[in-house]
Amino acid sequence: MIHLLPFLDVALPSQAPQGGNLIAARAAIGVGFSIHILLAGLVSGSGELGPAIEFLGYMRQRRRYDRLAHGIARFMTYYFSVSATVAILVMTVLLVGFWGHFWSVMVRIAWWPLVIEALAFIMQVSLAYLWYYTWDPLRNFKALHMAMGGLLAIASFIQVYMIDIVASYMLTPTPPSNPIRLALNPTSYPLTVHRTVGNLAYVGFAVAGFCAIKFLRARTVEDRAFYDWAGSFGLLWGVGMTLFQPIVGYSYAKEIQLHTYASWYKMMRGSLSTVFVWQITLLGLMFLVAAFYFTRRLRTDGAPGHSLLRLMTGGLVLATLLAALPHHLAWTLDDVAAAGLDRPFWQGGLINPLGAMIPWKVLALMAYTLLAIAAVTWYVRGLSGVRWGNAGRGEQRLLIVSTILTVAMIVTMGFIRENGRAPDLIAGQMQIQQQQDVSPQPTPAR
Amino acid sequence: MISELRGWASSAYNWMDERASVRSLLRKGLYEAVPVRGAWFYTLGSATLVLILLQLVTGIFLTLLYVPSVTEAWQSLNYVRQHDAFGSIVRGIHLWSAYVLLFVIGLHMVRTFFSGSYKRPRELNWVTGVGLFVLVLAMAITGAFLPWDQAAYWTAVVVTNIASYTPIIGSFLRALWRGGDTMGPVTLVRTFGIHVWLLPAILFPLIGAHLALLRKHGEFGSYVNYRGAYRAREGVETPPAPTQRRIEPPYPAVPTDELWAAPLETEDFYPYQTFKDGLVSVVLVAVVFLLAVTIGAPLEEAANPATTSYTPVPEWFYLPLDELLVLVPQQLIPLVLVLPAGGVALLLLLPFIDRDAERNPFERPAVMIPGAFAVLFVVILTLLGSGRLFNL
Repeated sequence: MIHLLPFLDVALPSQAPQGGNLIAARAAIGVGFSIHILLAGLVSGSGELGPAIEFLGYMRQRRRYDRLAHGIARFMTYYFSVSATVAILVMTVLLVGFWGHFWSVMVRIAWWPLVIEALAFIMQVSLAYLWYYTWDPLRNFKALHMAMGGLLAIASFIQVYMIDIVASYMLTPTPPSNPIRLALNPTSYPLTVHRTVGNLAYVGFAVAGFCAIKFLRARTVEDRAFYDWAGSFGLLWGVGMTLFQPIVGYSYAKEIQLHTYASWYKMMRGSLSTVFVWQITLLGLMFLVAAFYFTRRLRTDGAPGHSLLRLMTGGLVLATLLAALPHHLAWTLDDVAAAGLDRPFWQGGLINPLGAMIPWKVLALMAYTLLAIAAVTWYVRGLSGVRWGNAGRGEQRLLIVSTILTVAMIVTMGFIRENGRAPDLIAGQMQIQQQQDVSPQPTPAR
Repeated sequence: MISELRGWASSAYNWMDERASVRSLLRKGLYEAVPVRGAWFYTLGSATLVLILLQLVTGIFLTLLYVPSVTEAWQSLNYVRQHDAFGSIVRGIHLWSAYVLLFVIGLHMVRTFFSGSYKRPRELNWVTGVGLFVLVLAMAITGAFLPWDQAAYWTAVVVTNIASYTPIIGSFLRALWRGGDTMGPVTLVRTFGIHVWLLPAILFPLIGAHLALLRKHGEFGSYVNYRGAYRAREGVETPPAPTQRRIEPPYPAVPTDELWAAPLETEDFYPYQTFKDGLVSVVLVAVVFLLAVTIGAPLEEAANPATTSYTPVPEWFYLPLDELLVLVPQQLIPLVLVLPAGGVALLLLLPFIDRDAERNPFERPAVMIPGAFAVLFVVILTLLGSGRLFNL
């Protein structure tokens, strides 16, 4: 590659792009962190979901749970190194390279959370490998093995919480001298709940997509039955956890509104509101695809409840359409107000009243949630009539689509959150442009 | 001397027994077959009863000190705080036992729900239990009005306003409770009446009904009594039924699957279960006493309706609903209030919806998944609400 550069008449920069190349730096960090979040979320979620599945399998005395939990354990051991490499890349290369001043300040402010984060990381790695490699040796000591899984889940949670202290501080900073205030800054609670629940949901959707692919490739009856069940289980788990997210997400948004109003305004009513509408629409699509899968999966085996589930799917289509209506047709609310379009037609305005962000978006979210709860309940009720292994290819494609939608959702949420704060790196305290040039200079001759 | 005392006691006992059948009452009350497995879980019910009785005793004491008037209520409690150390502790016990009671009754319900104890023939136990839970919550909310300090006043404003969101009759309900359009002396007097007369008048008969039904059906029916017994599982042989101890009728010697009438192992209520019940209750009362002495019951400044700087902070048990109300725009508040109302309705209907004989929580996902969702939802809302208040 480097040999080609002279022919192209270009040269690699001698140092990290700084100052004038902000867009490139922001793009690199954005892409780097999106990849990091996608990988790290999966690993953290696996460290929490895997032990839960093992426990469920023990209580229900069903071998397929054990097989699924074991598969998740294997995944963790394979992907931990990839995840860790990306984490180190974004931390040490991109952050230090592009936002060096910010990162050194951040490390000083959040020293203890970062130290605990590193310790939790060591615990998580050690326990993940122990948990996987002692699966068979400790088969007769299941309680001990499950206790190890429980510790792994705790380590995974601590790790997420510690890094969330840092991330939330950037959006809602508090006096850094008070460690309690730092750890419990206004958005640390909601962000931790949001991410913990989100990671659990994400790994469920990932299991669903992965098992769908394995089902399509399965050659034995036993494998088809297992992957059919595991795909359904993953989706159920993913949807179940996602059901918490509208309320947790809105609680998070409320804290941002109370403590960093400019960011909230930008996200909800400003230039990012269109992306926010897309995010809400994505959530509707996730529930919609899941409900469609539930309907089809029950119908394939003639299990009871699929007709009612079809109705719920129709309701979700309407709720998604309601959520997808744009807040306004201009870029900011000020533009709309300036044009006199911010009033419903019965008050002399021209804008479609259904397009207003609030309360219609909240109403759409409530409708999603209630319909999705009903769909999950009805699907679970109908599962007694399902014979695993009979699923069609269409259902598996729906599982794969739900995984893709989840990935899109995670990236969209990260984009909104980080850009809601931009150009500030620490809200109201430090901007992207305030980075010091830390390039080494030759020592002056004496 | 001792033998003389013993003789008098024996004579008194015989005298009472001849007239009031004390012996047979005690035998009936104390020598009941109760399950060995899960016995500690059952202590939550007796702990709830003990805490309610503690509320009653301390509440009666407080009525001797408290004046239910907007001009005197705060002053009477402030006097207790400044000049009556014993009264302050009693008030602390009243407050903290109410908090612990809400927590314990919640755990009791969660245990009953997850272990499937509400199933046939114990549907009415569950229905009366839900009624008791709602009444205890109502007691807690009305009790929070009574100090008439800033926190009490603004809690009263918010809670009576919530009533106004009831469709059609909302404004009427608020005016009825407040005694007019605005808060005033009638509001406090009515709330006091509801707290000390109306609610207890419903609460105590309902407790009686709950206990009577419990004795009729026995402390059985919970999944924890049967775990691992009788049911064939994947790759596991059904264990043979072990030899049974004799159990008094109406409990069959061999548990039947159709009613889950009696567990594998039982023991007498006295002294085995009474010891466990007593131990848990004593520990809880000790915790309440410690909290009452060390923290006590707070009393803020006297109510000032004209203030603009006071930020109302809800009681902790009110946090989930408060968090929901904070999140939604005003137009949707009636919809949010449907959630708790619908939740109570669903709880009441639960035994009639979930009629399957299965009690294993891991084998009835259609009930457990929504149930676990609801419990987690409440926990998450409480966490989020407390985080918000911390950063106010």
